Amino acid sequence: MIIQILLIGAVLVLMVFFLRNHGTTRTAAGVKIGFVLFILFGVLAVLWPDALTVVADLVGVGRGTDLLLYGLVVAFAFAMVNTYLRFKELELRHARLARAIAVQSAEPPALDHEEKNVPSAS
Amino acid sequence: MSEYDDVWLIVPVYNEAQVICDVVQKARLTFPNIVCVDDGSRDASVSEIRKSGAHLVRHPVNLGQGASLQTGIEYARTQPGARFFVTFDADGQHQVEDVVRMIDRLREEPIDILVGTRFHGDTSHIPWIKRVVLKTVVALSPRTRRMKLTDAHNGLRAFNKTVAEGLDITINGMGHASEIMAIIDHKGWRVAEEKVTIIYTEYSMAKGQSLINGVNILFDSALRSSRR
Repeated sequence: MIIQILLIGAVLVLMVFFLRNHGTTRTAAGVKIGFVLFILFGVLAVLWPDALTVVADLVGVGRGTDLLLYGLVVAFAFAMVNTYLRFKELELRHARLARAIAVQSAEPPALDHEEKNVPSAS
Repeated sequence: MSEYDDVWLIVPVYNEAQVICDVVQKARLTFPNIVCVDDGSRDASVSEIRKSGAHLVRHPVNLGQGASLQTGIEYARTQPGARFFVTFDADGQHQVEDVVRMIDRLREEPIDILVGTRFHGDTSHIPWIKRVVLKTVVALSPRTRRMKLTDAHNGLRAFNKTVAEGLDITINGMGHASEIMAIIDHKGWRVAEEKVTIIYTEYSMAKGQSLINGVNILFDSALRSSRR
């Protein structure tokens, strides 16, 4: 009973955290829908542990825990790719920002050697 | 004024203090306009560039060679009178005479971009391991074969304003060479090859792309093409 409360509580906290960090793109929305489904699955699995085994049997996996493990591996791989893409995007934004600064503060060459001795106007 | 006033050399620089001043001064005898993009070097590269008479654009942080090229291109293409652009390595392995030939061809032939190739005639001066790796990269890329290019990872390229305006390199690191090929292919620019000589000095060999970096290039390219 206590573990059920703990798990559902953790899932709710995660969900609130996730929704508050909302992105803007359609991809981000897709990720969120996937996450909500994952949460629903988690809640159902906690409330009816036997159902997991039934589902596992249905899809040809021996035990419910195995099914859970497989699901976790897939979700983890998915999250890793998502993170990688996210980092790439951030890297690109970071590069564009740095580029803007670099071009703004560009230094044209100093006067050529023959002109160097001429006193400047300022 | 020189007949190459409308040409801009773009030189990405990362920790090249030993050679950059010589390389730029030699190139400036022919090409007056050179922009060096310092990619956050930790050595004296910046002061060497200031001495050399090149324009200096400094990345506030290290970003990678692809990002440096893009920065150089964006700087050069806004300069008044700029018509042709050349990406040129800082370590002195590219020849000014090759660039002159490329620019002359760009002026006369209907070509948007010329890519250097080191695979012509006698290739025994190219270290065998480099030969094998570069040939493998070309063989593995159907796009490069379709475009009839033999040396997609050659850093020496000359192109016109259309290409300079259209290029948007998003791979900051070393995978940018394949990305440039992908952009050329995607935009349908007219591309051709020019035979160039790469001089392998001990210095340039020590600085060159390591083999292990090929793994990074492949990985970046695979993920990029899956998203395009």
